Order: sequence, then C-alpha cells, then structure tokens
Amino acid sequence: MSASPALKDEIKLPGMDLKKIGKDLYEVFIGPQHPGSGHMRIIIRVDGDVIVEADPDLGYVHRTMEKLAEGREFIKVIPLMERMAILDACNITLPYVEAVEKLMDIEPPPRAKYLRVLLCEINRIASHLYGMGIFGVFLGHSTMYMWPFGDREVFVELAEKLTGARLTHTYAVPGGVRRDIPQGFREMAEKAARYMEKKLEDYKRIFLDNPAIQKRLVDVGVISKNLAAKLGIVGPNLRASGIRYDVRIIEPYEAYDEIDFEVPIYEEGDAYARAWIRVMEIKQSLNIIRQVLEKMPQGDPLHEKFWAKAPKLYKTVYETTGRAKLIPLYANLKVPAGRAIARAEAGRGEVIYVVESENKTKPYRVRVVSPSFRNAIVFKYIVPGHRIADLPAIYGSIDYFPPEADR
Amino acid sequence: MPGKVVEKKTPKQTLLTAITGNVGAILVGLKYFVNPNRFTLKYPYEFIELDETYRGFIILELKKCIGCMSCARICPAAAMKMVKIQVEGKKRPMPVPVINYNRCIFCGYCVDVCPTEALAHLPVHDVVYTNMEDMVLDVDGFQKLVDTPAKDEGVPVKYVFDPERGLVKVPATRG
Amino acid sequence: MTGIIDFIIKLIIWPPLFQLVLLPGLVTALVVVIFIIWFERKTAARVQMRIGPYHISPRLGGFLQLIADLTRYAFQEIIVPRTVDRAVFIGAPLTALVLSVVPVVAMPMTDIPRYFPIPMDYSLIISMGLTTLSPIFIVAAAWASNNKFALIGGMREAFVITAYELIFIISGLSAGLAVLSYNIVDIVEAQAPFYKWILFTNPIAALAMYASILMSTSGFPFEIPEAENEIVAGAFTEYSGLMYGVNMGSAYIKRFVYTLLFSLLFLGGWAPYTPQPGFIAGYLIPAVIVVVKATIVMATISFLRAVYGRLRIDQALDGAWRIFIPIALAGLLLALLEAYMGVYA
Repeated sequence: MSASPALKDEIKLPGMDLKKIGKDLYEVFIGPQHPGSGHMRIIIRVDGDVIVEADPDLGYVHRTMEKLAEGREFIKVIPLMERMAILDACNITLPYVEAVEKLMDIEPPPRAKYLRVLLCEINRIASHLYGMGIFGVFLGHSTMYMWPFGDREVFVELAEKLTGARLTHTYAVPGGVRRDIPQGFREMAEKAARYMEKKLEDYKRIFLDNPAIQKRLVDVGVISKNLAAKLGIVGPNLRASGIRYDVRIIEPYEAYDEIDFEVPIYEEGDAYARAWIRVMEIKQSLNIIRQVLEKMPQGDPLHEKFWAKAPKLYKTVYETTGRAKLIPLYANLKVPAGRAIARAEAGRGEVIYVVESENKTKPYRVRVVSPSFRNAIVFKYIVPGHRIADLPAIYGSIDYFPPEADR
Repeated sequence: MPGKVVEKKTPKQTLLTAITGNVGAILVGLKYFVNPNRFTLKYPYEFIELDETYRGFIILELKKCIGCMSCARICPAAAMKMVKIQVEGKKRPMPVPVINYNRCIFCGYCVDVCPTEALAHLPVHDVVYTNMEDMVLDVDGFQKLVDTPAKDEGVPVKYVFDPERGLVKVPATRG
Repeated sequence: MTGIIDFIIKLIIWPPLFQLVLLPGLVTALVVVIFIIWFERKTAARVQMRIGPYHISPRLGGFLQLIADLTRYAFQEIIVPRTVDRAVFIGAPLTALVLSVVPVVAMPMTDIPRYFPIPMDYSLIISMGLTTLSPIFIVAAAWASNNKFALIGGMREAFVITAYELIFIISGLSAGLAVLSYNIVDIVEAQAPFYKWILFTNPIAALAMYASILMSTSGFPFEIPEAENEIVAGAFTEYSGLMYGVNMGSAYIKRFVYTLLFSLLFLGGWAPYTPQPGFIAGYLIPAVIVVVKATIVMATISFLRAVYGRLRIDQALDGAWRIFIPIALAGLLLALLEAYMGVYA
C-alpha cells in the first residue's frame, strides 16, 4: 500500500489526540456520520471481526434543556421537554406535570387522568413502532423498516384527532388536560386497534418468525438479570432481562391502578426477547386504550382550581369543541416552594423528573433522567465479544434514541 | 385493579420452525405484493383537508381582543408580541398581539388562554413564505385568512380509519 | 460502399462480438439491469406500503427514474482520495465490470453451431470458470481503497465468494452430470420436454445454485460485503460518482450472467422453442427466450429483498459450508443417480 510513514505524519491534524491501542487491534468509529449510527458515536476496537472494546460517546445533540428550563415559566417547560422525544411527547412530559402538581398539591380530575393514560398509550405504540422500524433497517430488513413507520401513521393520526397536533401534543398541563376526546373517537380508536392487532400477526410472520432474523437475534447481546440490575437500565430492555419493573405497576400513576393490563416479562435477555417484548407491549397498549375509552368517567378536564372560577365562555367552548381553555393565570403560574419527584414509564423506559421551586413563576431546577441515557451504558458492557455485524442488531434492539439521552 | 406481570417465552427454533418460518415470511410478502396496502399522500396533487380541531396557523379577530396580553405572556417560543395600535372605538391605543411564524411552535397555548376567543386556529398546516421577513406578521396580516398553496393544483383528501387497511384516503370537500 | 455496410453487419452479427456486446452481452445486460432495478424498487414498494419511483414518469410508473439516477451518477464528481493506490483503485472496478460479462462468450444461445461464439464441448466448465474471475478485482479495489470499512468489506467478499462459488460450481456441474455432457447445448436439448427441466428432475441442485446466486452477487439484503449499517458500503466506501455506479452495475450484471447460466442449466434454456435456420429464428429468438427466463429468475431474487434481512458473515459462511455444500453434493449425487438410471439417455 502506498501509505508510507511520511504520509502518516502528513495527515496528522493539529490538536488531534492520538491514543495507542493494543497491537493487532483496529479502531473503527461507528458514527456520528456512519449510516448505522444515530446522533452518537460508538468507538469500537476490533480484533479481526470481533469487537474487543466498545465506547459509547454521547452528547452530539445536547441542547441544555435542563438549564433552559430554569429560565422559563412552569407551563413553558412542557413544550421544551417534549422536544427530547417528540414521538413520545405525552409520556416524556407527564412526570414533569405530575411533579408540578405535587408541588401545587392538586390532583387532576378523574377524566383527565384517563385522558392522559389514553394519549400515553397511543404515544407508547408510536414510539415502539418507531423503534421497531429502526431495528428492522439495522438488520437490513427493509420491509420491517417501512411497515412500522407506515403503521405509526395510524396512531399519529389518532393522536392528532385527540390533541390537534401530530407529534408535539403539549397535552397534559398542570391540573389536567387540554382537550376532551372528539366525536366518534371511540370508533376510530377501535378501528385502529383492530388494524394493528391484525398487522402485528404479519410483523410476527415476516420478522420475528423469520429464520434469518432469528439467527441474527437469538443469543445476541444478552443482558443477564444481574448485569441489567447492576447497570440500572430501564424499560422494555430491563423487562426483557427478566426483571419485574414497570413504573405503571410499581408505583401506579394517573389511572393505571384502575386498569387491568399485563406487563410482559422475558427471561432470555437477548435481542430477540427485546424485539418480542415491544410487540407484546403494543398489544397491551391497545388493550389499555380500549379499557380507557370504556371506563372513562365523566367530569371536568381541569382541576377545579382552574376550572371552577373560569368564565362562562370557557364552559361553552368546552362543551362545543372539547377544548379546555386555560385561564390567564397559567401564564404566570406561581408554584409553592419545595422539591418534588415524579416518574413515569415512557416508551423507552422510566423517566424521572425532579422539580425544585422557590415560590416563583419559574422553576429553580428541573432535573431529567431520561430512559435512553440510562440504557446507553449497556453498549460498553454487552457489545464486546460480538462481531461488527452484531453492533447494529444490538443498537436496534436497545431502541436507543440519542435526542432523548442527550437532552 | 392494577396491571400484573406475565412471564413469556420467546419461541424456540427448530428445523420445523425454520421451514414454516421461511414459508410464512414469503407468503406474507406475496400477500402484500398481490394486495398492497398503501396510503401515500401524493402531495401536492393531493393534500389533507385538516379537521377543524387541528392546531394550525393562528388568526386574530381584532374585534374580540381586549388587549389582556395573556397570549404574549404564555407563548413558550416568544413568537407572540404585543404592539400598541389605535383601534376603532377605543380612545387610547390598545395592545394587540402580532405573531412571528419564524418562532411559532403551534402549541396552541395562546388560543387556549385567550379569555375572549379572539384567537383561533385555522385548519391550515402549510403556508409558503418567500422570505423570512414575511413570516413576521403585523396586525393586519394576523387577521387575514391563510391557505395551503397546494389548493391551487391539488385535490383535498381526508384519511379515515379502517380496521382492514389502517387508514383509507377518501376525497374530501373543502369546508 | 455496400462492402463496408456488409462488413459492419457481418462484424455485428459475428457471434463472439454479438454475444459479448449485444445479446445477451453488455447492452442487453444494461437494459435488463435497468428493468430489474426498477422492478426491485416497485416490488419492494408494493410490499412495503409505498409507491416507489413514480413522479419522474407517472405513466410509466416511474420507469425513467433509473435513467435519471444514471445521469446523476454520470455527472457527479469522481473523487480519488489521496491515500489510495490510484492505478488499482481505478482499474479494478472497470476490470471487474468487463470480466463479469465475459462468461457469456462461452454460453451458446442456440443449437446451430454457426451461431456459437466459440464452438466447444466443455462450454459449461469454461463459462463457470470465467464467472470466478471478477470477484478478485473487488477484493483488489477494497485493498486499494486503504479504508478500514473497505478492507473489512473486501475480506467479507473474499469469504463469501470462496464459500458460495463452490456451491455454484458443484450444483452447476451436477446439471451437466445428469446429461453426461458438459456442453451446454446438450444440456439444453436434453431438457426439451417441459417435465424434463432439471429444475424438476433435480430441484436440490437448483435450490443450491439459486442460493449461491443470491449470496455471491450481493443483492440487498444479501449484500453482506456491502452491509450499509455495518460497514458503510464495504469495498466501495471510497468510490463516488460513476465509479460507484460501475461497481453497483457490475454486481447486477454478474447476477444477470449467473441467472443466464441458471436458466440454461435448469430452466431448459430456449426450451419450448426449437431454433430454425436463419439468423432471427435460429439465434435471436432463442437468445431472447433465455434472457426472458433469466430476467424472471432475477425478478424472484428481487422480491426476496422485501422478505429477508441480512445475515451475519459468520452465519452466511456457516450456512454455506454446513448446509448448502451438503445440499449441493446431494444434488450431485442425485444427478449421478439419474445419469446411471438414464433419465436423460
């Protein structure tokens, strides 16, 4: 090869950090401009085709969300925080809203609780479908890329009917929700659920039961129960390792304690179990949506603190269009001093917010622990020992979402 | 009653599942090859006729505005600002909202917080501006109806839910 | 004047040149490849809830999209990085392209000896031998690229080709063995009645050969040497513009040539038709029939892209050495048995 020692000096860039790696090792940078990476980089060192070391390198889409939140009024933080996982918008902001509610010592009316659960589950389905689509294309299965993305449209459309926006719904606000279900929503949701149930069978046949896919996934990227607990990973990845942990049953929030649903657990802990658990969770989410629409009580959309004193126009608007108008007080919501913590089960796992208030209109501190950030560490521990070709399979199965991790 | 944990197992791989799996996958592929299920929107030849509840562009009804400034205060993106103008029937200049669509994120807070329903969403999602300055509307511009540029050459369609096909595209009439 | 025209016509229909350049050589290969790429996109789109190429020519279902893509490739800048071995970097893909079409000179498209490119008794062995030439230049291109991903891709190519070429050759030879002749003309003539196609008498060998075509010609998603999500574009990572197009094209042309051989060996070649004297009836029509059969085989390969995902390199090799080589050998055994029992006597 023409690469001579002289050339090596020539291509050295100023400020370039050179690091010695083991003899016979090859350092390959997967990302951030690699077709098989998201907005992140995994530095891998390979011995032949086998990875001996992996180093996830995060932070490419860090947007200082926590700091930005300190400069905004309480209600303005919601649209900001949504941006970390726009396809999981309701789940990812719900704990923030709950934390603010805890500080204000109010509880949303029962109907609002059910409506929040409804949108959360629609978001969870959309989020899982997105993850499965990315998973599919990482395995070179183009149909599994296009189908979930196409079917996600059904649930995005459903969310649009409910909230008026396709992705950034900004649906839950302290005290309740912003809209009631529109006319004929029950039928639409039922049709969407029936379609999805049928489609999941086809997913199973073309993807999960496909021997070529099974070969790629079974016993690949195994996270043992111990390792999963030690690393503190969350969400479907944790449950695929056999740990019975789901915020919806550990610490039921909103209306989850009144709904009958199953939380699937797989003991295997490999990429195949992580693919299966998403399909099973979609099934359960459809079940929850049906129950919510059945069991939903009548009542106000917002807490009486914001609804009782509202002018008459607000009530007529709510009755005619389903829009719960916000009283002007919301713009400068003063939240009593204190610190509150709330958590919820988002599509990718547990999301935790710590909100600290100083009895002002803006939060003193908003701390977010997002699920993808907690899951990112597994790359370091489970990728070594696998082949380069397994890296996309593991990446896809973790459903890692860089904007959510980096915030 | 709250949810409960259910233990599941991934299916085992045997020679039989290898054969049935291959056949099943190919059959599903053939099924969709023969009877494709697609609901692609051929924009701009077709465009979605959005629901009235859609959170689209915002329009101001000046007559109803009382100049309370709630909308400007609640705007999370600082897209809405108040300007003082002389309004008919008022003695002194009154603060009225104007909008900057460079910044607007269509969260709809302003519409929801307006105590007199002077602001309203239009079921319009895509509007073309030729330069950035045009996206900063003044009071007159804020009161004008805007419409999608696709209406000139496209036909309006609507998506309805279907248990067999997910979404089905049907022709719509412009309301 | 007429002498020159006569000379040109003679030169064009001179079988070695005609076969290499026109039918089923480069020109036909290009047309078929353009059709197949369009078909592949449309098939995948049908299965995948999409429409596929459409806008550029709505009446033709977007058929002209490929022409547009080619034009784009043609006008794109060809970047030759500073760190590559220039001569090999540029030479290897072009050589691979030429060599991938060369096997057709050993494939007779008719049974009239006048229209054989090179009359020979061992055309099957010669054409199979020629198919093994081009992969080495892909490995060379990868090596010359001096890029980590290209190097990994080149190594994978070498592994895959070594494993699957063997299957290709064993299963191809079993077709000849059944007929007790390595002359493709004899093999095709033996399959004259529909039920005597070797696809039906020896499906094991046909399956092995089909699988080897799938794997060794690197079509999505069986392009383990070029797996996008793993190693960017494998051996072709450093290529751009027309050079990249040449690389992609040679992979498709290779597949076309392989499927030509497949349709000659297993699908009865020009089977329902018997070549008559004359250039058109004796050469053109049988050649077109073989090309159409090959195109159909390619179309089925295209459909499979919508169903399967990509295997890992070690799994692909495992499948080759542990599953498909025994299958190919079983096919060989079956062919031997048929030859002994005189099925094609």
